[in-house]
Amino acid sequence: MNPPPSNIKRRDFLARSVASAGAGLVLAAPSITRAAGAGGADKINIALVGMGKQGRVLFEAMSNIPGLHFQAVCDIWDYNRQFGMGKVRALQGAAPKGYSDIDEMLATEKGLDAAIVATPDFWHSPHTVKCLEAKLNVYCEKMMSNTIDGARAMVKAMEASGKLCQIGHQRRSNPRYRYTLDQLINGNKICGQIVNVNGQWNRAVSSSQDIAFKENLTIKPEILKKYGFEDMHHFMNWRTYRDLSGGPISDLGAHQIDIFNWFLGAMPKSLFASGGNDFFKKREHFDNVMAIFDYDTPQGGVRAFYQVLTTTSAGGGYWESFMGTEGNIKISEQTAFTSLFRESDAKKSWEPLVQRGFLRKKAAPAPVEAPTGAVVASYESKKPEGFDLPGDLNKPPHQPHLENFFASVRGKAKLNCDAREAFLSEAAIYYVNQSALKHEPIVFTPEQLSV
Amino acid sequence: MSTDTDTECACKCPTNNLALVYGALLARVWLAVRAIQTGVEKYAGTKMSDQAVNIDGKTNDYGLTAADSVKHYAMGNYHGVPEALMKKFQGEPMMLKFALPIYDKVLGPTLLVLGLTILLGFATRTSLFLLGLLYISLTWGLILIREDAGVAWLGVHMILIVMSLMLAEHNRFALTKKW
Repeated sequence: MNPPPSNIKRRDFLARSVASAGAGLVLAAPSITRAAGAGGADKINIALVGMGKQGRVLFEAMSNIPGLHFQAVCDIWDYNRQFGMGKVRALQGAAPKGYSDIDEMLATEKGLDAAIVATPDFWHSPHTVKCLEAKLNVYCEKMMSNTIDGARAMVKAMEASGKLCQIGHQRRSNPRYRYTLDQLINGNKICGQIVNVNGQWNRAVSSSQDIAFKENLTIKPEILKKYGFEDMHHFMNWRTYRDLSGGPISDLGAHQIDIFNWFLGAMPKSLFASGGNDFFKKREHFDNVMAIFDYDTPQGGVRAFYQVLTTTSAGGGYWESFMGTEGNIKISEQTAFTSLFRESDAKKSWEPLVQRGFLRKKAAPAPVEAPTGAVVASYESKKPEGFDLPGDLNKPPHQPHLENFFASVRGKAKLNCDAREAFLSEAAIYYVNQSALKHEPIVFTPEQLSV
Repeated sequence: MSTDTDTECACKCPTNNLALVYGALLARVWLAVRAIQTGVEKYAGTKMSDQAVNIDGKTNDYGLTAADSVKHYAMGNYHGVPEALMKKFQGEPMMLKFALPIYDKVLGPTLLVLGLTILLGFATRTSLFLLGLLYISLTWGLILIREDAGVAWLGVHMILIVMSLMLAEHNRFALTKKW
């Protein structure tokens, strides 16, 4: 039961669906199977570019992977750079070289094989392109860029350089997601016809506050200016500024809209979005965004609704839910938010799948007595049976995606989400804020969603 | 009338000496076990199972592992002050911010050391006194964040420490009677 290479599968599917629909939304996707850099050598020399919050998450995940050597740390903020260097020293016994400027690092450091880019979104594209041009393999955090042209530049640089460029949509390498797509949706087709998709990421106001900083750690104004920041607030809270990021829909939503596209094996044909500054009135980006995507898939039309709220947890949780005529898969990086339901009138029993280990059955909930004379009850669906995935991921969520990247650098695997694959998935997201700002639906043209 | 074991204590009160010796020992062991295990638990964490899941009669190739978690101990798990409490303490204006990380680092090892010295009977009275001071510091922190149940719980510990100190002259089975 080997997981099939999802990229090829999806591209084949996309090619078929585009041909049949005549939409022509997708460019031919060249296969990226080349190994590069370390060329099979065990040790991979790495530059860490950006050691802020996400850079630290990636570093912690990488510290579990053997054969990595952290050679350089680059960050414009002394505080982050020193922190990163200290972490590396604690891990490998010797301090790496520290740089505040990526150009200086690339000009000075010899023997680097890969760069891990975790800088603010508006720096992703310039930093990734620089590293690819310096013949480094790159793992870059999502969103690829704050602009679609920035993302396009990354795809072009990857293909021109012949190097690998993995984008940090880490769910693409998560065993739970890969298993669900291969075995449950495509293999056993437990959802039947998927007719709707729903996803959300809701955060309470308390978790969405501006990030504070200590005055004594302030970066010099000339350095901030050199790297595109107006002041420390701009630097610390770049996620809330239009010139620096795509806002919550790209910061949080991109992960999940990626899953919509990946699982459906299609790109949306149209989009309608709404957003507002409902609580954080002074923020440039919307604090709440809702978007509806329309898809044409071989099995029929699918509507996908996504909401990202930074003003209420609304009970909390982040997940993607694939709703079918036979069953529903609600999946999340968090096991607690994951559950599967079989429609009570589904044609096929899922019992054989449980017996073979494809699913685990949830404990039956206590029966709820219908209130006397409840007329409404006759219109309700019967309570569906509940199931769980058969297993879990026992690593930090980013680790499998990084393992896939390093295995690909060693020539032992194929990237699960290279820059082109990521572009196809992210392209529609770049238009969400535009639709919400203009209060207009967008019917995508092939040019809008292609490199 | 008294037997060999039922002798008068130093304060000349007509009391059962063996009972006091047992009482001193029990209080000492309770406080020691409480401190040692609390210190050890600072190094506890949970780890997801490494057991691969079997699907359709064979091990899955996706990397899915059993959805169980197992408790384990490691130096890397160490948290002196639980993360949730740490956040609350950091928000307290009266809390000395520079001292928090130091306290976090020393709390676990201190509990272990004091627990061991009390258990072995090494400088029992001083160890009990220091443990009392440690519990007072914890109590102060819990008062700050209005964890009244925790304050009451630590109050019980303090009563036991005081009782243990009062029974110090009946302390036997100790490495040293000094301090």
